[in-house]
Amino acid sequence: MRDINIGRRAPRFYARLRYLAVIAGAGFLSMCPLYGASLRDEGIAAFRDGRYSVALEKLKSATKDNANDPDARVFLGLTQAALNECKSAMPALTWGFHLPGQDLPRMAGLAAAKCEQFSGNETKAFETLREVERRFPNDADVLYALAKFHMRAFNDATFAMFQRTPASYRVHQLSAEIFEVQARYDEAAAEYRRAIALNPKGPGLHYDLGRALLMQSHGSEALESARGEFEAERTINPEDSATEFQLGQIAQAQGKREEAARHFQRALNLSPDFPEALVALAKLDSQAKRYSVAVAALQRAIALQPSNEAAHYALMMAYRDSGQMEKARAEQQTLDGLQRPPEGEFTNFLKKLGEKPPEQ
Amino acid sequence: MLRISAVGLALACILCGANSIWKPDFRNIAKEAGLTAIFPNGGDTAKQFIVETTGSGVAIFDYDNDGLPDLFVVSGDGGTNRLYHNEGHDHFRDVTDQAGLHSSGWGQGVCAGDYDNDGFTDLFVTYWGQNHLYRNIAGKRFEDVTAKAHLTQDRTRYNTGCAFVDIDNGGRLDLFVSNYVKFDPATTPKPGANPYCYYRGLPVNCGPRGLPFDRNLLYRNNGDGTFSDISEQSGVAKPFGHYGLSVLTGDFNNDGLPDIYVACDQTPSLLYMNQGGGKFEEEALLRGVALDANGRALSGMGVDSADYDGSGQFSIFRSNFSDEMETLYRNRGDGNFDEVTLAAGMGGNTRFVGWGAGFFDYDNDGWPDLLLVNGHVFPEVEKLKIDIHYKERAILYHNLRNSHFKDVSEDSGPAILERHSARGAAFADIDNDGAVEVLVNNQNEPPSLLKLATSPPGHWVDLKLEGTHSNRSAIGARVKLLAGGRAQLAEVRSGGSYLSQNDFRLHFGLGASDTVDAIEIRWPSGRQQKLADQKADRVLTVREP
Repeated sequence: MRDINIGRRAPRFYARLRYLAVIAGAGFLSMCPLYGASLRDEGIAAFRDGRYSVALEKLKSATKDNANDPDARVFLGLTQAALNECKSAMPALTWGFHLPGQDLPRMAGLAAAKCEQFSGNETKAFETLREVERRFPNDADVLYALAKFHMRAFNDATFAMFQRTPASYRVHQLSAEIFEVQARYDEAAAEYRRAIALNPKGPGLHYDLGRALLMQSHGSEALESARGEFEAERTINPEDSATEFQLGQIAQAQGKREEAARHFQRALNLSPDFPEALVALAKLDSQAKRYSVAVAALQRAIALQPSNEAAHYALMMAYRDSGQMEKARAEQQTLDGLQRPPEGEFTNFLKKLGEKPPEQ
Repeated sequence: MLRISAVGLALACILCGANSIWKPDFRNIAKEAGLTAIFPNGGDTAKQFIVETTGSGVAIFDYDNDGLPDLFVVSGDGGTNRLYHNEGHDHFRDVTDQAGLHSSGWGQGVCAGDYDNDGFTDLFVTYWGQNHLYRNIAGKRFEDVTAKAHLTQDRTRYNTGCAFVDIDNGGRLDLFVSNYVKFDPATTPKPGANPYCYYRGLPVNCGPRGLPFDRNLLYRNNGDGTFSDISEQSGVAKPFGHYGLSVLTGDFNNDGLPDIYVACDQTPSLLYMNQGGGKFEEEALLRGVALDANGRALSGMGVDSADYDGSGQFSIFRSNFSDEMETLYRNRGDGNFDEVTLAAGMGGNTRFVGWGAGFFDYDNDGWPDLLLVNGHVFPEVEKLKIDIHYKERAILYHNLRNSHFKDVSEDSGPAILERHSARGAAFADIDNDGAVEVLVNNQNEPPSLLKLATSPPGHWVDLKLEGTHSNRSAIGARVKLLAGGRAQLAEVRSGGSYLSQNDFRLHFGLGASDTVDAIEIRWPSGRQQKLADQKADRVLTVREP
């Protein structure tokens, strides 16, 4: 469960940094040769090859010759970090992170965060990572490092809980949530039931169990079982709007429109800014031909959550059904825009795979 | 008069009583019927490529006009498509070779239609690769006329659904072909190669997401045995970004012109509204049949249409992927639709990947019920030990006559509960006894032939329409049938279900009525025909006046 490699040595992390240095290499090597540049280049090459002791020697000499060479200084910091000399490395890494450009600050920022983590300063490491993310929001390596950080924190906390409080209902709750993520809903439901047996009044447990049951099936038995769990949740947590919403959805699936509307309305009374409940109620209003009521609710949902596709779709349909075709078409265009895949690396990846209009 | 009415009421009550205790008991009679050949379709424990997942369809059509519908089953690579002649008494004879239909390659879909109006139904089979048009030579053999008909394609296409459709009601059948993805095994990533090649953490075949889109095709029948590609000028080629599978034709806005619906996988489904003059506009989103009620695109697979609620309009049903509900779109009467899946009592079966689907009145009560057949695309799913399986049972919905359906799958006989990785399904009364049978293509197994063990309680009539001014197959003809105080609506269609072809004959259950009060036919030519006081429990042939 614990990633023990994240700690004193983290060799894979520095191997990745070496890889980043290789793919960014063209930029470094094309720099104008300065005094000591050959030492610097040899040092950078040694870092890339993982020959850290050679890199350390060369880069130290290079920085002595030219203390203002950013490449030499940052790569010296990276090398020191790779050799666990974080204390020596940190000034160069912190300085390097604030340099203009892309590759040097990104590598320096990531290494700085790693050093802070290595030094046991998790809070500072997290702050640094967030800062790196703000500067490079679409960078896969940065996002990966951030994900890894969270995963480690999750692993550590989970490990601690299983070690220190193995009899707690929380152990079963967390196990259930993990099973749920893995789409193993049967096992998730069983774990939620164990948690409930240990803590029958635990807030949220019946809700989560109800949801897991619905994830498994929408058959009539599942709907009824889930309804029972949400009802139980409501007795524990009487002002929970999400529970009311779920009860509304079940009533709707069971064909009980009026009951569904009552639950959705109650959810809205509890949380007036609940976009999903606004949309659900508006759809029932549309079905009952109360188009102006539906449109107002949907516009409110969209104001609260402008990218809510369900709200835009329901609004388009409400306009269509009330004969306001121009407005319906405008909503259609908005929806088209929302459903277009976002620009970014993943989209580019798809484009590379060939999502292009056919020539024929 | 009073006495006759009383007798009539008594009879109705007896039938009502019988109907209330009668339960469908579907048996798979494929083996006894002679359908024992296996139809390969890729791996059974793992699939490398998407082409192994989508095949294949089936067709039921009477190729020799002997009054008994024959069977055609499409095969994936490693086998041949097969034609089975209906010998009567639920027995079929494999006549593939003598009919000249031996084949190879990745067969996908099939549709039928008498494109040359010679009185014998022709066959079109789609492929990943080159499609084939088989001309029926006097009901004795088939001639591959693909090249002669100018239907040779300039590159390898992943053709899936198809339908013959007379787009201008001119009397000649045109041809629509949907396309899925651009697929080349040499360049398509292998299982696990990218985020679109995983299912619940398992490396599986890649796609359709991540694979290049292609576009649909429309061929105009030139009337001289050839076709011309009019995809561009008709507007059919315009929509981009859809993975097209099944094709459903029908006049959804009652303007007399056939429209075309395409169930699309993981992308919004398409509805080409016929504008006349050979032009189509794609309007699925605004008409409410592209997405689900939450505005999400689902993975559309199979499709069918019926007037399930007696509204006099054709609604649309679409089967989807697991973790998605099936979708029922109710026609509001103007060609605009509302998604009513949950309100209709459907949507509970989210663990199945649905394929072939068809409305059919299994108990002959005059209300269309619904069958859909299932099976996952990833055999690897068995490794997960969850409640989703590669081989799955079918789902049977009974029409409760109040716009609601009841899932009666568990109580409708062993054939519904048999597990297969099913794909295409086609419907027909193969023995003309008034009960509808279902032919199902199962991946890497013999097909299933579902037949009721006991006769359904209601009366019935089958209508065989023959066009004269309209196309000979009468594809596009609309029938309104009045019996027992209610009207039923049906249309003759090519294609549909999942890449499959139903018998052209229209089956109507009549409940307690042993006569049909009136039959009104709107032929594609625009001619109207009315028949009154027809006896029930027979196949009635009607020729266009």
